[in-house]
Amino acid sequence: MGDATMSKPVPVRHLHVGPEFHAEQHIHPEPTSFLSRYVFSKDHKVIAKQFLWYGLFFLVMGGVMAMMIRWQIAFPGTAFPVLGQLLWPQSGGVMPPQSYAAFFTMHGTLMIFFAITPILIGAFGNLLIPLMIGARDMAFPTLNLMSFWTNVLAGLCMIVSFFVPMGPAAGGWQSYPTLSTLVGSPGHGQTLWILGIFLTGSASIMGAVNYITTVVRLRAPGMGYFQMPLSVWGIWLTAILNALFVPVLAAGVLLLFLDRVFGSHFFLAGASITKGGGDPVLYQHLFWIFGHPEVYILILPAWGIVSDLLSFFSRKPAFGYKATALSMSVITLLSMVVYGHHMFVVGMSPLLSQGFMTLTMLISIPSAVFFLNWLGTMWRGSIRFATPMLFSLGVVFVFGLGGLTGLHLGAISSDIYLHDSYFVIGHFHLTMAASVLLGAFAAIYFWFPKMFGKMMNETLGKWHFWLTIIPITIVFCGMLVVGYAGMQRRLYNYEAYEFLKHLHPINVWITRAALLLGASQFLFVGNFLSSLISGKKAAENPWEVGTLEWTIPSPPPHHNYDEIPVVLHGPHEFNNPAVTGKDWLAQDEPIGDEPVALGAVGN
Amino acid sequence: MAVTRFPVPEESRRTSFVGMVMALASWTMLFVALFFAYAVLRLRASAWPPDGLAPLPKALPALNTLVLLGSSILLHFGSRPEAEAKRGALRRALLGTLALGSLFLALQLAVWVPLWRSGFRIDTGTYGSIFYGLTVFHALHVLAGLVALAVLLPGAFSGTYTSGRASAVRLSAMFWHFVDAVWVVMFVAVYLV
Amino acid sequence: MHQWPFSWLTTVDVSRDGWRAEALFWYTTLLCVIAFALVTFALVYSSWKYRARPGVKALYTHGTDRKSFAVTGILAALVFVTIDMNLVRVSQADVKEYTYNWPVSPDTVRIEVMPQQWAWNIRYAGPDGVFNTADDVVTLNEMRVPVGRPVMLNLKAKDVIHSFYIPNFRLKQDANPGYVTRTWFQALQPGNFEIACSQMCGWAHYKMKGDLIVEPEADFERWMKEAEGDAKRRFDPADREQLWGWEWVQ
Repeated sequence: MGDATMSKPVPVRHLHVGPEFHAEQHIHPEPTSFLSRYVFSKDHKVIAKQFLWYGLFFLVMGGVMAMMIRWQIAFPGTAFPVLGQLLWPQSGGVMPPQSYAAFFTMHGTLMIFFAITPILIGAFGNLLIPLMIGARDMAFPTLNLMSFWTNVLAGLCMIVSFFVPMGPAAGGWQSYPTLSTLVGSPGHGQTLWILGIFLTGSASIMGAVNYITTVVRLRAPGMGYFQMPLSVWGIWLTAILNALFVPVLAAGVLLLFLDRVFGSHFFLAGASITKGGGDPVLYQHLFWIFGHPEVYILILPAWGIVSDLLSFFSRKPAFGYKATALSMSVITLLSMVVYGHHMFVVGMSPLLSQGFMTLTMLISIPSAVFFLNWLGTMWRGSIRFATPMLFSLGVVFVFGLGGLTGLHLGAISSDIYLHDSYFVIGHFHLTMAASVLLGAFAAIYFWFPKMFGKMMNETLGKWHFWLTIIPITIVFCGMLVVGYAGMQRRLYNYEAYEFLKHLHPINVWITRAALLLGASQFLFVGNFLSSLISGKKAAENPWEVGTLEWTIPSPPPHHNYDEIPVVLHGPHEFNNPAVTGKDWLAQDEPIGDEPVALGAVGN
Repeated sequence: MAVTRFPVPEESRRTSFVGMVMALASWTMLFVALFFAYAVLRLRASAWPPDGLAPLPKALPALNTLVLLGSSILLHFGSRPEAEAKRGALRRALLGTLALGSLFLALQLAVWVPLWRSGFRIDTGTYGSIFYGLTVFHALHVLAGLVALAVLLPGAFSGTYTSGRASAVRLSAMFWHFVDAVWVVMFVAVYLV
Repeated sequence: MHQWPFSWLTTVDVSRDGWRAEALFWYTTLLCVIAFALVTFALVYSSWKYRARPGVKALYTHGTDRKSFAVTGILAALVFVTIDMNLVRVSQADVKEYTYNWPVSPDTVRIEVMPQQWAWNIRYAGPDGVFNTADDVVTLNEMRVPVGRPVMLNLKAKDVIHSFYIPNFRLKQDANPGYVTRTWFQALQPGNFEIACSQMCGWAHYKMKGDLIVEPEADFERWMKEAEGDAKRRFDPADREQLWGWEWVQ
């Protein structure tokens, strides 16, 4: 390889070598017992698969709940097919209002903390970080194992809560007190919810500490921060936000736990407290100090992945790579100081509200930069429309919709009308559900060959894309429409209000699109399972791209790299004129006989 | 391509150091959030202590602050790289820290029990909630720190920690110093101001 | 009255200041549609124009030259100045002129609202102008206000957080347990409108309805006189549930 002709002698190129180069990475022998290999594995690739299965399980669970919620909205008083009879035989299969409240609460909780987080952060964070930076594993493999199994405990808390008297938490996924204290939720479901959130939060922090350290310490020689693929950038920034802001949520639910179990008065106020009451809105502050970064925690990995995939399939270097990475970093910083825009109607001080509004609007600048860079990447490319590329384009499309509708909610006077309406539901589903889901699909279709050594079916993949993007756009844009029309969120039966009755046809159409969306996911499940069993065997580098994970076999050996690679180029060297015979260049592939020096030369 | 590699020192200790710094940053945010909650509740209250409650005792907690600070100093000098070579230094530092840490917990009990008996409980308004919530949660961290240090004892006695594995000592010491630092802030915020 | 696109979708706006939310909404929507149309056009056009074709190579550029940098920077700044700064400007004006511009005129109708699971307790101060006294007019799920006079509300929840939402006025304000929040509005035409709860407040949240009856001044005064008479007769100091209300927060 590297047969490009270089005539004149080149000076020795000193590659970036950070502290990471000094870190020792031994090759550990592959575990042999079933338990240590597949269950309590410390191998990041196995843990990635565990997180993937775990997340997909909850994605199905949360998805089915969404279908039931939509069914109740469009066809109130009718039984949900098949499952309705099983779940609520006493009401003839019709969902009672208590279950409705529990379902929308658990739908949000499960999707955010147990589906999206495990898939994009747990599975792809684990898979991609070591592979893409040229490491043999995570910095702390045991911590990685603990992170997964703590998450499983958290998931168990949530599942068990469905079977306790009075059912699971039912106060909305934010669980605002005083509704979530004993005043409004006397059952054990809410306490189990708190435990589950606390545990999954701990798992997220363990993962985050591991991810950050791995990126800081274990990058292969030659890989500076600005030679990292943007996927790693996205996941790394997410990890930083997780490490810093999940503890704030943990503090909030900890105090809620004390209020519920030990009778403290942090959030209690109102008629139940005669003297010395606390402040229920304090919880909202804690929740949203975490909650706004959480939005970016969910979307940053998808942004990073999409930024890479757009370049890979346009066969062109990522346009303005550094600007994209820096914009993502700036957004990460801004996300820490805008949380108040979730609270314009709680009665916050006017000055604070106006400050938060102005800060919120600043987010547009970095967002515009990486949107332009995405479009710039495609410009004059040579675009291949494989399934991962289609899903990436889908992310750009729905995130455009979701991001722009955030403007309506960021300005105080329009937010006062739209707050807690379906407009909010449409907006945040477009940003952190639709985009993130499409991003996750893009990632699964793209890295499935590396994970499992098999190719997924492209035809089914393309059908899956079109049958997902069309209904998903209809569903969430429909929600924007009924939200503007004034419909509040979380109504068991919106037709109790005269002013909402005329929205019935729109709501029915949203539900129909949602059911189609749900049904078309069978295409994915079928494709996933059949490819796993009998998919075409994947080559080492089926997509012809240059990042490090594609320089090793599919699936990679236990220790990933026989020899730690030496990184010579950025991650997106497509159509480099110095390369002949192919349009891509691996990150560790030399062009010509350029001499390279590694190590502590001159420092 | 000619790649020249230069010999490099073994530095896996630094990796665990970076990890511990991140973990403690995360932990710091947990306590920052708890102090934020305290600040909000206190700012909303018309008077502090509210509802004519008596102020908290100061003498015993002040003594306790000295106890914890003393333990940190002891541990710091006992776990320095220079001290690693001398087996006895680490052993003495660990035992001393464990003793002072236990004394801290005992003195905390001596603060809590009379207050609780006098009718000042966790449900005595936000004042009681803040006091017990913060100090008990912190005491649990002290307990965790004690366990982490106690686990090191056998190694300190058998002399395992004279090599690179001594990062275990360093990490536990970092956690202990962190817990002490949190206490100093808590002492000032809850008892003094 | 203002006319907005797709007005069949929404309730009639009968308030003096509801147009602000509508105006900002449609202004934002217009800007968003333009921005989104441009992005979508670029997306579709590039997808078509630059699809992989044999013999055509992609351009080798990292987009790091000065020109690309300038174009990106200028476009991003343009987005911020034309869209965001404008929204902030309009919204700041609305906030200053309406949202936090509490009515001070003596003809302001003052009402205390205490929502609970799942009803609206409503209280007028009565002739003495002081709340939580024997002459207060107290109603359940029914708020009467006159046309043309500013109405200011003090809200405080009894049990859990609720949110007072009157779609015809494009207005929403949370009511929290423990402390008072404020909001205000002014009706331009009479009619019966719905009060809705917009904050999840338990399983029967969807049933938490109230009526907002906007009447001509004379009708309102007549009703108030009658209600004040009834209030004195009905007042029962032993009924502790009836003893709610707080010092007015202006």
